[in-house]
Amino acid sequence: MDAPRIVLGVIGADCHSVGNKILDAYFTEAGFHVVNLGVMVSQDEFLDAAVESNAGAILVSSLYGHGLIDCEGLRQKAVERGLDKILLYAGGNLVVGKTPFEEIERKFKAMGFDRVFSPHDDLADAVKMLREDLEARKS
Amino acid sequence: MEPKLLLSVDIGSTYTKGGLFLLEGEELRPAGREVVPTTVDDLGRGFARVREAVLARHFRFLGAGHAAAADIPVYWSSSARGGLKIAAVGLTPDLTLSVARMAATSAGGKVVRAFSYELTAEDLAALKAVDPDIILFTGGTDGGNSRVVLHNAAKLAELASPAIVLYAGNRKVRDQVVDILRGRDVATAANVMPEVGTIDIEPAREVIRRVFLERIVDGKGLSSVVEAAGRDPLPTPLAVFELVRTIADRVPGWEDFALIDMGGATTDFYSHTRSFHGGDAIILRGLLEPTLKRTVEGDLGLRVSAEALFRSEAAFLEGRLRDAGSDLAPLRSYVEDVSRRTEHLPADDEGRRFDRLLAAACVRAAALRHAGITQRVFTPQGGFQVQRGKDLRQVRRLIGSGGYLAGVTGPDILLEVCAPGADDPDTRHLVPDAPACYADADYLIPLLGNLAADYPAAAARAAVAGLKPLTSRTS
Repeated sequence: MDAPRIVLGVIGADCHSVGNKILDAYFTEAGFHVVNLGVMVSQDEFLDAAVESNAGAILVSSLYGHGLIDCEGLRQKAVERGLDKILLYAGGNLVVGKTPFEEIERKFKAMGFDRVFSPHDDLADAVKMLREDLEARKS
Repeated sequence: MEPKLLLSVDIGSTYTKGGLFLLEGEELRPAGREVVPTTVDDLGRGFARVREAVLARHFRFLGAGHAAAADIPVYWSSSARGGLKIAAVGLTPDLTLSVARMAATSAGGKVVRAFSYELTAEDLAALKAVDPDIILFTGGTDGGNSRVVLHNAAKLAELASPAIVLYAGNRKVRDQVVDILRGRDVATAANVMPEVGTIDIEPAREVIRRVFLERIVDGKGLSSVVEAAGRDPLPTPLAVFELVRTIADRVPGWEDFALIDMGGATTDFYSHTRSFHGGDAIILRGLLEPTLKRTVEGDLGLRVSAEALFRSEAAFLEGRLRDAGSDLAPLRSYVEDVSRRTEHLPADDEGRRFDRLLAAACVRAAALRHAGITQRVFTPQGGFQVQRGKDLRQVRRLIGSGGYLAGVTGPDILLEVCAPGADDPDTRHLVPDAPACYADADYLIPLLGNLAADYPAAAARAAVAGLKPLTSRTS
């Protein structure tokens, strides 16, 4: 069986590249086929890559606090581009300030993201969830 | 070692050029050239005429000791009646379709139409109307999208067209695609984009070249020439493309250069230079373009395409005319005139001035389209430059080839490539800075391109030696 494909990148005008490399290595090691777009990735670049590679999930990172505005509309655009079943994950320092994580999670889920991660989450959990979610989407 | 004679012929759309070369050890020396009008109804006649002319006027002066005229090997190329017409089919416009365009142009073809996503009935009608020689069919990374690819395969199976379908998309469904297209003329090559952002156009290029030889030569009326020459032709732009590569590989100081071939119908831009140089505060977005790149601009030309040029470059032309105290009206009537009389050569100062202006517009626009840009962006981590497309700033030398550019006496027109282009102070076009300029005054480039496969080092050195340096003093 082919390794499940996922698209990875840091969205918007965000140049934080260290976490991106760690995620790439970790998910590759965990058996995923990672299409890593690096830093400063636009919504369209995420979607083009997902269309071409037939990815099951897009993992969006944002470290600089502008994640909310950068991620707005990604779900609708994905649906418009025919990616109606794709999983959308977001993680990082998604907003500036002391907003409680539950509040951030609620906002991102309202925007159509399936999972939202804080800087304190364990990557092993994320891998487990991703496997389960991909499996669930298949049926 | 006994010196050896080689004959090289290029059948262009207007002229058929022939050149005799003397190969002594590792050196090729031009030993005479002739030009005759291309005989469009039967290309073989023009070929025979130029061959006879070259041999009659130059061969006998070379003295004894050479092989008989009939034994001189003949190499040749043809722009094959307006070139190799390729329709590109891809999935997303910025990824596989964009790579398919690169593959087509670097194989010496001209992209006549391009399609993304699912092909529709309307697209099929458009495909049929442009009557391409090859449909370059791509889409999906290896193991990636197959749904749209299989849909498009089924649509192409319905298409009533003699075009050869070259499949260079998602490898996972290659067999299925071939199966769906059974009964059609199908060829396959490795995926042009096996991974998002990874470009692999060489295999598709090679298949296009082979397809050109095996199946298209005949349709273009070239088979009589194959018989006379005893050798297969190269498409002219491919001969030039390979010569550019050979010069960059073989001639010291020519690692970073560009070549513009401007004709009546198209302007071709070739560059050999690394696409992206990296650095601390610069980020590449989009595809990493190849070191050797060719673009073909079908709306930039001095005659057949003069009206299209006039429309697309109106703002630039108007600005230059205004600076000279004039307006667009006289140029407009000149353009209308020469686009009908495509053989016209200007007889007066005004006509020469207009041709010069149109040539400047072609060179400038072709460079701006070939080159990428950087944009300054401000982020919470500070200012960054975002690069898209190819960086030509390291290009140190620039060659002008083709009718008009072969005849220029100064570098001014070629230096139009240094156009700033952008009005926005935060956007910079990555055009060459101040390249040294040269003219291919004796049209040796395509002729030596034909010899580059068999005699790479000698052809590359002879091409550079045959160039005329253009310094500002002579303009």
